Amino acid sequence: MEGKEWLNKLRARFTGAGNDDWPDWYRTYRQRNATPPAPSRLVSELPIVVLDAETTGLDIRQDRMLCLGGLRVHGNSISLREKFEAYLHTPPGHDGKPAVSIHGIIPNSHRYTYVKEPKLLADLLEYVGDAVIVGHHIGFDVEMINRSLQRNGAGPLVNRVIDTSNLAKRLRPAGYWTPENDYSLDALARRYRIPLSDRHTALGDCYITAVLWLKLLTRLAVKLGHDLRMEDL
Amino acid sequence: MPNQVTYRVFDFLKEIAPFNYLDQEALLRVAARVEVRYQPPGTIVFRPGEPPRDRFFVVKEGTIELYSEDKDGNELLIERCGEGEIFGIRPLLAEDNYVFLARAAEESLLYAVNSEGFRELITNYPRVLEYLMTSMAGSSRYAVEYRASTSPIPTDTSRIASGPDLQSLQSVQQSREPVVCAATETIINAAKKMTENGVGSIVAVDEDQRPVGIVTDRDLRRSVATAVVSRQAPVSIIMSSPVLCIGSKASIADIQIRMLRSGYHHLVLTEDGTDKSPVTGVVSEHDLLLAQGNSPAVLIQEISRAQSSRYLKELRDRAEAILAGYLEKQVAISHITAVMTQINDEIIRKCMKLGLARMQADGHGNPPALFDWLALGSQGRGEQLLRTDQDNALIFENVPEEKYNAVKDYFLKLADFVTEFLNEAGYQYCDGDMMASNPKWCLSVSKWKEQFSHWMHENTAENMLNTSIFFDYRGVWGDGSLPDKLTTHIFNEMAGQSTRFQASLAQAALQNPSPLTFFRNFVVERSGEHKDQFDLKARAMRPLTDAARVLILQARKGNINNTFRRYEALAEIEPQNAALYREAAEAYEVLIRLRAEIGLKRGDSGRFIKPEELTQVQRLLLRNSFNPVREIQQLLELRFQLNFLR
Repeated sequence: MEGKEWLNKLRARFTGAGNDDWPDWYRTYRQRNATPPAPSRLVSELPIVVLDAETTGLDIRQDRMLCLGGLRVHGNSISLREKFEAYLHTPPGHDGKPAVSIHGIIPNSHRYTYVKEPKLLADLLEYVGDAVIVGHHIGFDVEMINRSLQRNGAGPLVNRVIDTSNLAKRLRPAGYWTPENDYSLDALARRYRIPLSDRHTALGDCYITAVLWLKLLTRLAVKLGHDLRMEDL
Repeated sequence: MPNQVTYRVFDFLKEIAPFNYLDQEALLRVAARVEVRYQPPGTIVFRPGEPPRDRFFVVKEGTIELYSEDKDGNELLIERCGEGEIFGIRPLLAEDNYVFLARAAEESLLYAVNSEGFRELITNYPRVLEYLMTSMAGSSRYAVEYRASTSPIPTDTSRIASGPDLQSLQSVQQSREPVVCAATETIINAAKKMTENGVGSIVAVDEDQRPVGIVTDRDLRRSVATAVVSRQAPVSIIMSSPVLCIGSKASIADIQIRMLRSGYHHLVLTEDGTDKSPVTGVVSEHDLLLAQGNSPAVLIQEISRAQSSRYLKELRDRAEAILAGYLEKQVAISHITAVMTQINDEIIRKCMKLGLARMQADGHGNPPALFDWLALGSQGRGEQLLRTDQDNALIFENVPEEKYNAVKDYFLKLADFVTEFLNEAGYQYCDGDMMASNPKWCLSVSKWKEQFSHWMHENTAENMLNTSIFFDYRGVWGDGSLPDKLTTHIFNEMAGQSTRFQASLAQAALQNPSPLTFFRNFVVERSGEHKDQFDLKARAMRPLTDAARVLILQARKGNINNTFRRYEALAEIEPQNAALYREAAEAYEVLIRLRAEIGLKRGDSGRFIKPEELTQVQRLLLRNSFNPVREIQQLLELRFQLNFLR
């Protein structure tokens, strides 16, 4: 099982061909992502999706996604209409987790409409398409999504992924004045004067991250002295 | 289902006109379609001539500047839109191309509101349309917006035409024909006519129905009932003449003010407001009382009857209720200040009477010399709405050297009592001790003259500050002749050595730089007790009062104290600057109103404001008043050549 998945990944990476066992929605997604964005493309012209997942905890192997939020960014605009927001039921055995106090999602609360995991994934890939995925410490969120994809018989996300915390580090490397832990979303939001309301709701964090993304891009462009292209990131 | 980010947008928009006129559901729909736009500093939102987009903009954070371009491509700053302000709305209504260039002055976030969805809403929310139409019409954008935001929903066209629903600006209803008689009519017949018509007064008229006098119940009682005058005598013997006339279209506020100023209890309404046109009616104080439940006239009467300073405090609290009503109803500031000054003066006079009685009771006897009690500062200018610190002084006639100390001692004791009573009435002691009870500010005419001469010759910063406080003196109680002597002296003194003094005074007026640099619209205090608050008095009002004072001194108009009247007078003297002076006067009115509104809400003097406690309209008005401040300061700088002094 593990071996086969590994082989599929490898095959997909080198040949771009699909796996016969993939669900249709994943196959469609892979077709849309046949060619990665050229390094010379202007960042402002590319579709961007900012993602954020709320989870039961920080353990990649054991914890599960509870909620996934996404906002679309075109150039300098964040569209609130084209949002992605989906909630999953808390899996059994995860209800008592301390993370509840962080994101405030009460297990299986009636405030939300829940979907099943495959539905969430299919909707997500439809929403993301071939956009560049942006997020804060996004590696964790992508890994959560990939594990979920794997459990549902699909391959991983193949989009270009950009972590806003890395961008922030490039603009202001850690040092005496900027300790290593100063790249948290809270710290950066404070540094770049982004109000911290709705923190720890998936969409709220997406919004803060999206504004942060736009602010960081501008500063990076000023630093580099030219309009940003994919190769700059 | 609305999500958290939509709610965030909703929360922001719901405080802002015209979004605040929408109900929650509709506004949530608008919020859900918003696009958040990030504008790095210097980037363009739209350019003139560009076709309209399907959205208009609300500034969420930062500042957007709108420029018009002349044909040579020079940019002229038209507007600076700060947090919560709307721009680019023209295409929503008029299908026009953009007229201005919109550029981010600093890093900004905009909410781009989809105009398609919004246009559909407009039809269901008439106030939104009214707001948008008015905000586009007219050159004075702010006044219009203010009106739109406070006026009720128009139900029909006549309502719109009549303007804001304002009880005290309505004219007095004339339901019946005025009761008149010829001046030659006998007293007994006139009295009969009054009884038949059930009125308390009759106007004596000439052949052309023009008023020549008025006879009231009281005149009849006093003269006829006591048999001093024959009943068969003509009314002209007992009538009051001439009569005080006012136009038949006069508002209650106008009438009230005329009565307060003149002390008359009856005004005759005529077609053109003079006694050269026919009578159309009579208004008595009583009519006014009926028209207006809570009247300043009643209050002033009560003040004159008050026997204790504690009761004065209660009455002054009631005056604040009247003030709040006036502010709410958008009564003209000139009227509000006139009424409130009248009330404040009456309280000062009452405290003087109480003080004099106390001096008698303590065996100090009557005042040993003529004197005048001077109100200084804002009360001196007749602009005080809320109770602030007392600023007062005392001037007494010159007395022989050997008596000077005894006389001064009497007045200091008197001033002690008076300031104490004022304090009890709610006018706090002045921190800087600018009070008549301070030996420095209780002086004879010649000592005051020396004092002013000294201030005018030694132009130190402290002296300039004193000048700014003491120059706006106004006699409130006493002989009444002494303040004029001082004024004459000041102008004579200025003739001799004017330029340097005036320049220093102008210089002092520039001490508080105009609040044009922005931190989210305002310059806030950087440190101290009022950190992050905006000092309304020091940063916006004082520059205007200081400038008005120095300009009016230069124009040698000593008898005008009030800041807006000073600007009005200046506008007449210098027609070339009339527009600027009128703007300054308007800005000053706006500031006074704002300060009073805030002060009333918070129960303090309203001097320091937190930007976030202002409504959007208030911010707009405040920010706009900064322009005349800056322009007036530039005018001072040029006129007194202050750039050479610095």
